[in-house]
Amino acid sequence: MASRRRTLLKVIILGDSGVGKTSLMNQYVNKKFSNQYKATIGADFLTKEVQFEDRLFTLQIWDTAGQERFQSLGVAFYRGADCCVLVYDVNSMKSFDNLNNWREEFLIQASPSDPDNFPFVLLGNKVDVDGGNSRVVSEKKAKAWCASKGNIPYFETSAKDGTNVEEAFQCIVKNALKNEPEEELYVPDTVDVVGGNRAQRSSGCC
Amino acid sequence: MDEEYDVIVLGTGLKECILSGLLSVDGLKVLHMDRNDYYGGDSTSLNLNQLWKRFRGEDKPPAHLGSSKDYNVDMVPKFMMANGTLVRTLIHTDVTKYLSFKAVDGSYVFSKGKIHKVPATDMEALKSPLMGLFEKRRARNFFIYVQDYNEADPKTHQGLDLTTMTTRELIAKYGLSDDTVDFIGHALALHRDDRYLNEPAIDTVKRMKLYAESLARFQGGSPYIYPLYGLGELPQGFARLSAVYGGTYMLNKPDCKVEFDMEGKVCGVTSEGETAKCKKVVCDPSYLPNKVRKIGKVARAIAIMSHPIASTNDSHSVQIILPQKQLGRKSDMYVFCCSYTHNVAPKGKFIAFVSTEAETDNPQSELKPGIDLLGQVDELFFDIYDRYEPVNEPSLDNCFVSTSYDATTHFETTVTDVLNMYTLITGKAVDLSVDLSAASAAEEY
Repeated sequence: MASRRRTLLKVIILGDSGVGKTSLMNQYVNKKFSNQYKATIGADFLTKEVQFEDRLFTLQIWDTAGQERFQSLGVAFYRGADCCVLVYDVNSMKSFDNLNNWREEFLIQASPSDPDNFPFVLLGNKVDVDGGNSRVVSEKKAKAWCASKGNIPYFETSAKDGTNVEEAFQCIVKNALKNEPEEELYVPDTVDVVGGNRAQRSSGCC
Repeated sequence: MDEEYDVIVLGTGLKECILSGLLSVDGLKVLHMDRNDYYGGDSTSLNLNQLWKRFRGEDKPPAHLGSSKDYNVDMVPKFMMANGTLVRTLIHTDVTKYLSFKAVDGSYVFSKGKIHKVPATDMEALKSPLMGLFEKRRARNFFIYVQDYNEADPKTHQGLDLTTMTTRELIAKYGLSDDTVDFIGHALALHRDDRYLNEPAIDTVKRMKLYAESLARFQGGSPYIYPLYGLGELPQGFARLSAVYGGTYMLNKPDCKVEFDMEGKVCGVTSEGETAKCKKVVCDPSYLPNKVRKIGKVARAIAIMSHPIASTNDSHSVQIILPQKQLGRKSDMYVFCCSYTHNVAPKGKFIAFVSTEAETDNPQSELKPGIDLLGQVDELFFDIYDRYEPVNEPSLDNCFVSTSYDATTHFETTVTDVLNMYTLITGKAVDLSVDLSAASAAEEY
């Protein structure tokens, strides 16, 4: 059968409250950063057109919208994800320790058909804080964790100054493309409830 | 917790999630809690493991049924009217961006021991055996009247005051037979019993117009649409809307206890030893059992099958209406079927439901006429539950309790309850009228 030309990639970002998930996607998509912290308000999903090996894709980056704070993400949030981005704060050992929980939660809720090879990417964020002096999770420790989970890619980032953000998301796109779609996800004849407006809108951070 | 909120919402049923979304968008500080670890409450969709746990105790489902996560079995099966108030609410709030929908393949009606397709086109109407030739001409005149009727334009009324004239009187004017009346009242206006005949005709005419508009909306085989992955997507979509606008979500909160002050006004909710303060509580009946009364019982059968329902032209999604007069009971019975094409079951599997208002002490046996239409089933479950409505005075205690989901075929009564509650809570009304025109305008370009 003819191969389907996929154009939409869904990426979800998981991690503890306050590690900078929303800021990372805003930095990548909108090149913006806000120092004002509020447990996420206004972030939903953002879309960005990306080109990879001469093909155009719509990258849809889903924030948790704050529902992760009390472990209240629904199964619909996880469904159809092509790549899972795990984020921790290099200045918070607790956020690093909780990565195991987030990874397990993803595998339970999303139930990928090949859990051992599902593409994850780990980001250690906030490397800019206090010039690195308050860092408590070493790069070595993080890389060891990645190696133990099947050698998943690792980037140390700063959503504030943009360090490694572009590089991280390039890798995320590449890994999302490696995820072969399950056959059931192909749905040819949905109806458009909103009418002619086919472009999916996204909202930015308020 | 241990914070102060404008509104605490208890239970993540569809009604509660729509309200949570609307209130958060309005800028209210909302805390939304549920005792379950999943969204949807009574209106959720269950995977196979959850289904087995709920209806068969702790049994593990048989392996031949396929992967648990491929199942999304609705606990309150309804289809969405394509032009109805739930679609308008979804557009109004932009929750459509989280969801995908498919048209439902067909709508059928049970008449004289057989099922017949409810005509979706003029050609189908001409061929349909539901009416004789001369009856078709009389019915056509009636349909033209209904189609042209505009409440705001007296010229279209042709001298009839539908706000005082009963449906029976209107139908007598067009000389329609009892069978035709039955068909119009139950298969098009979707009334569940015959009380409508003695009530003002305006309601039936409006319902018929909604049916026709919904049929025309996507020009599928029926007036209905249905979300991929089942109806459990709807509460999750509205919950996400609430979260995006600042709503706080806490699933898996057992024993949510509503606290009252000396004057009997709600002042907070306690769970696991912590109390969140609030000005108002919104909840489904199960969270405030002392403030509701029983108003009926719904009987439902849920079936897993490996084939479409016979005589439906191999439809992957279908509704069959069994009018009460055909069955010799007071309320209509409904059969719904959806399938792997809606991502609610693995490939080759169908999920069917038979629903009605229970009328005897043996509700399970009441469902037999609907179950007989299904043919061979792989698994069958029964869900018999009471329905409740609130009896408290919200202006006195600031508690706003939703009414339980009824056995109707669609969501119009659900949204009516939500909009009424919203007005009680906020003093404002949601205006859903503009959005479809905007959507239509978008459609034209």
